[in-house]
Amino acid sequence: MEGSVDGKAKVSNAATDSSTSEETLSKNARKKELKNKQKEEERRLKEEEKAKKIPRVRNLQPLMMKIWTQQYKSIPDQYKLSFFSGHLYYNVKPPAFILPWFFLQQYYENRLKYLAAQKATGGEPYPHKFPVSMSVVEYIDKYGGLNNGEHLEDVTVNLAGRIMSKRSSSSKLFFYDLHGTGAKVQVMADASKSDMNEAEFSSFHSNVKRGDIVGVKGFPGKTKRGELSIFPKSFIVLSHCLHMMPRQKAKGASDDGHLKKLEEWVPGSVRNPETYVLKDQETRYRQRYLDLMLNTEVRLIFKTRARIISYVRSFLDNLDFLEVETPMMNMIAGGAAARPFVTHHNELNMRLFMRIAPELYLKQLVVGELGRVYEIGKQFRNEGIDLTHNPEFTTCEFYMAFADYYDLMELTEKMLSGMVKELTGGYKIKYHANGLDKDPIEIDFTPPFRRIDMIEELEKMANLNIPKDLSSDEANKYLKDACMKLEIKCPPPETTARLLDKLVGHFLEETCVNPTYIINHPEIMSPLAKWHRNKPGLTERFELFINKHELCNAYTELNDPVVQRQRFAEQLKDRQSGDDEAMALDETFCMALEYGLPPTGGWGMGIDRLTMLLTDSQNIKEVLLFPAMKPQDEPSAKELSAMLN
Amino acid sequence: MEALKVSSQPFRHLIRFATSSTSAARRTRVVLVRCSSSSSSTATATAGRNRRSSSSSSTSDKDAVRAIRLGKVEELRSKGLEPYAYKWDRTHSANQLQDMYRHLGNGEESNSESDHVSIAGRIVARRAFGKLAFLTLRDDSGTIQLYCEKERLVNDQFDQLKSLVDIGDILGARGSIKRTEKGELSVYVTSFAILTKSLLPLPDKYHGLTDVDKRYRQRYVDMIANPEVADIFRKRAKIVSEIRKTVESLGFIEVETPVLQGAAGGAEARPFVTYHNSLGRDLYLRIATELHLKRMLVGGFEKVYEIGRIFRNEGLSTRHNPEFTTIEMYEAYSDYQSMMNMAEEIVTRCALAVHGKLSIDYQGVEIRLERPWRRETMHNLVKEATGIDFHGLGNDLQAAKEVTLRDLGIDLDNKDKSSIEACPSVGQLLNELFEIFVEPKLLQPTFVLDYPIEISPLAKPHRRHAGLTERFELFICGRELGNAFSELTDPMDQRGRLEEQVRQHNEKKAAATETNCAEEKTNENEDNSYEVTLDDDFLTALEYGMPPASGMGIGIDRLVMLLTNSASIRDVIAFPVLKIQQ
Repeated sequence: MEGSVDGKAKVSNAATDSSTSEETLSKNARKKELKNKQKEEERRLKEEEKAKKIPRVRNLQPLMMKIWTQQYKSIPDQYKLSFFSGHLYYNVKPPAFILPWFFLQQYYENRLKYLAAQKATGGEPYPHKFPVSMSVVEYIDKYGGLNNGEHLEDVTVNLAGRIMSKRSSSSKLFFYDLHGTGAKVQVMADASKSDMNEAEFSSFHSNVKRGDIVGVKGFPGKTKRGELSIFPKSFIVLSHCLHMMPRQKAKGASDDGHLKKLEEWVPGSVRNPETYVLKDQETRYRQRYLDLMLNTEVRLIFKTRARIISYVRSFLDNLDFLEVETPMMNMIAGGAAARPFVTHHNELNMRLFMRIAPELYLKQLVVGELGRVYEIGKQFRNEGIDLTHNPEFTTCEFYMAFADYYDLMELTEKMLSGMVKELTGGYKIKYHANGLDKDPIEIDFTPPFRRIDMIEELEKMANLNIPKDLSSDEANKYLKDACMKLEIKCPPPETTARLLDKLVGHFLEETCVNPTYIINHPEIMSPLAKWHRNKPGLTERFELFINKHELCNAYTELNDPVVQRQRFAEQLKDRQSGDDEAMALDETFCMALEYGLPPTGGWGMGIDRLTMLLTDSQNIKEVLLFPAMKPQDEPSAKELSAMLN
Repeated sequence: MEALKVSSQPFRHLIRFATSSTSAARRTRVVLVRCSSSSSSTATATAGRNRRSSSSSSTSDKDAVRAIRLGKVEELRSKGLEPYAYKWDRTHSANQLQDMYRHLGNGEESNSESDHVSIAGRIVARRAFGKLAFLTLRDDSGTIQLYCEKERLVNDQFDQLKSLVDIGDILGARGSIKRTEKGELSVYVTSFAILTKSLLPLPDKYHGLTDVDKRYRQRYVDMIANPEVADIFRKRAKIVSEIRKTVESLGFIEVETPVLQGAAGGAEARPFVTYHNSLGRDLYLRIATELHLKRMLVGGFEKVYEIGRIFRNEGLSTRHNPEFTTIEMYEAYSDYQSMMNMAEEIVTRCALAVHGKLSIDYQGVEIRLERPWRRETMHNLVKEATGIDFHGLGNDLQAAKEVTLRDLGIDLDNKDKSSIEACPSVGQLLNELFEIFVEPKLLQPTFVLDYPIEISPLAKPHRRHAGLTERFELFICGRELGNAFSELTDPMDQRGRLEEQVRQHNEKKAAATETNCAEEKTNENEDNSYEVTLDDDFLTALEYGMPPASGMGIGIDRLVMLLTNSASIRDVIAFPVLKIQQ
């Protein structure tokens, strides 16, 4: 579907294809380059060698340093001190600025040494397999009902998961919190119940660290205080956490005594990342696994995302839609107006664009007798990164033969309200639209959704009387004047489409908090939509806005090939006047229309934005597992030694 | 501009062909055309000499037909009819009707209130007599005949039908149900509407099938001409959905990991490079989803999968398209043994969903998918095929090569010989022999186990056999369908292996002379000219501890090829990448 023409930041230089220039290098040039690289490498090695000479900072990964510095902030002082007091050769506290990564580096190296020692004595610190008999959740379900103090000593259960907290009351008794599948259970390791002797037991457990992944074989029971636990007979570390895990700053006994499924947040309710154990956004997004480990709610965001997609899929499957896959690399980037990514196929020596929308291919399939098709997949746009934009994002588009945009409005209402009901239990969700420090707003998905006619409503709201022929110079001039008078900025080029978009953004979209359809866009804004059956100059199109953001875009598809070619020609005009988000002509697509596209309704929705709404996320990065991030600049070896001296 | 050219220029042809087509109709009284419009048949008749050599509709034919039909578009509009309708309410699909009225006798009509139906679809054939016309309408589900009688049709619709409707048009029709004397179930039409006027003639079946290039370039034409093609994509959707159902029923969660990456890892292949303007940096298109999915395991997800597109900057073949779809799945606390069961489960369920049975035909070979499938080590398979026991050869590369060339020299061509010579390790030599002697023979489903460590940088060392890994590949019809291992979880070991991979790659790149033992063999030096970088973030993730796990990747396109009996990957990808047209 066509993206809203919302004047995203424009970059003036065209994307250049880096591989073509590489291609043209001769063999000799390549050799030279290689030599240069070797030299550079040598120089780098020398520098590294120098850096290595700095006492006790071996194998320091600059990137790791940065991460550690971020994480160090979240380690409570008492742990730092207890760590240092354990190392005799360090009776002097290092200077404060070295402390963060120096400290974590020490921890890391000690862990490496421990593992190396294990390997040297023939141990396998990374066992191949631990036969898990049930998940932590299943364990809680099955044994949560035991009485306080009850032990089932003749039952044997194998649990596995990550140790997220460790407490010891003596060298013979250790308590752990074992996390797995979004739930946690206490492990009460008692030397008297273990297969090991006491000395072995205490030395083994002193080497089990927070963050380690362990397998526990034992029996279920509840402590006298009512905490469901597993009492291990044997205890094995399956995988080691070599870094000190960030932890919550002393929040007292945050564990409210009882075990439970940690997952209490439900879709549609509010969330506050500022209360998370790991707060630093950079670390959360760059090392999503830490985020998932430490901030248990995050896991639910991605579960919700999966449920949203699977709801859409089954909704469409039930209507006999067919899921298809169309190319992500094309010779022409069509179907929307956006700057594409460029790449190059070496063997075919062919320039390819990453798709910006699957629309034109999906319509070809409808021409090819697949009457109802959909695709859920990634689109790519070479644009800036901000709170609502990531260079790759997921959409669902569907095309339905013999339906029009009225049908699609009903379908959209049914799909979205049904989904919200299923995921949240009701039609109303809470969302922090105005920041975490303000009260959340309520968004009501009860169908039917409000419909507002774009031009009519705009004229009413802004008190305008826009000339009927929107493609005329007169209309363009009128809108330019209107924007000036109303102090609405429209960066050039001031095409009628862009001026209108700005006005609509200001007057109409702002009013769309609850789901609202803005309908009947002018032809000049909608090159792929069919002209309105009784409103000249307009199209049968709607956009669904929720919380002032576009979520869906749909129309009765333009299937008259002659008109389609005209519309592309008009887009070309806009392109020539500097609007590089105007659409390019796709000859194969136009040819397909000449074979006859049935009357068809087409629809697109942004999955990421919908997930944001249902997970109270204000930043698109919250709902992408691995969002695009700026490259982290690594401090050079030089900088390092400067920092140390 | 383009549009103007189309609508004005070919008007001259319009008159000429329009007259010739009506006169032809008058002479013969019956125009019988199958899957090709009436006007196009006259047009091709005029250009008859070229018929065999050129495609079904050469440029001039097409222009002529387009002109005629554009004339009809205008005629319709002048009558106040819209040739591109907005919608049509269907009550039934063709197949539903065929099913519902199965028992209607020949010559009978059902004309009660509930038998008034409405359908829509493309006209693919037409026979017209004086006051009677038969049209074949095809929709998503199948075909049904339209029985059009002048008396039954409202107003002058019968004349419209004759003069304005062409094969290829999309029609909506209402009427009752009648089975003709000859036994053809029909909609006895009372009214109809042209929903979409087609401007180009449909290709006839003969050309649709033979012009291979056009089939892929204009997939929609292929699909209109050959309904079986659409069936492949229906089956493909069914297979993907069956895979999803299978893994979700086992508790796997679907996630999406990035396509654009700072470093392309998880496999050995040349990546596509692109450039992100606002970040000002090169990005790579993923060549595997592995390294990111493993991060999810570190993050505490125990069962995850992703069905998604993978991109490799490689040549085209019947088995390779630059973008293809895989499922990769990872399960904590399991090993490669349990992944074999998973592979069997997935493939057999898909086969049953598509065929309803486990014995299927692929290009003339009967493939038996009944479980369990054969499980055999790579060592044993090579021994079985060549007689060479690599267990006995130890780690002496030179000796191993000598034995190989001595025992097998006669069966090898020069290319094979030189690639054997080039093998830098015993493991790679073993794999080379496997690819030459064993792979093509693995027609029935076979799990090949325990690959050498040198060619398996992400797999865990075998718990009993040094130098091997806990890895399997699944072969069916001589083709690799899946690849799985007990995942390497030791970050130090992993770092060492990836560094070795980078080192080897750079060596090859520097040497860039002979062909080598890598998976993909082309004789071009170009092959290794890309960069391989270490994914440090991934290694850091491992340092936080990944649970013991197994993972598997299955090529969905190849699975669809197998289950739809398609010879080429291009048959199962709707819009395959093709060479630039000359």
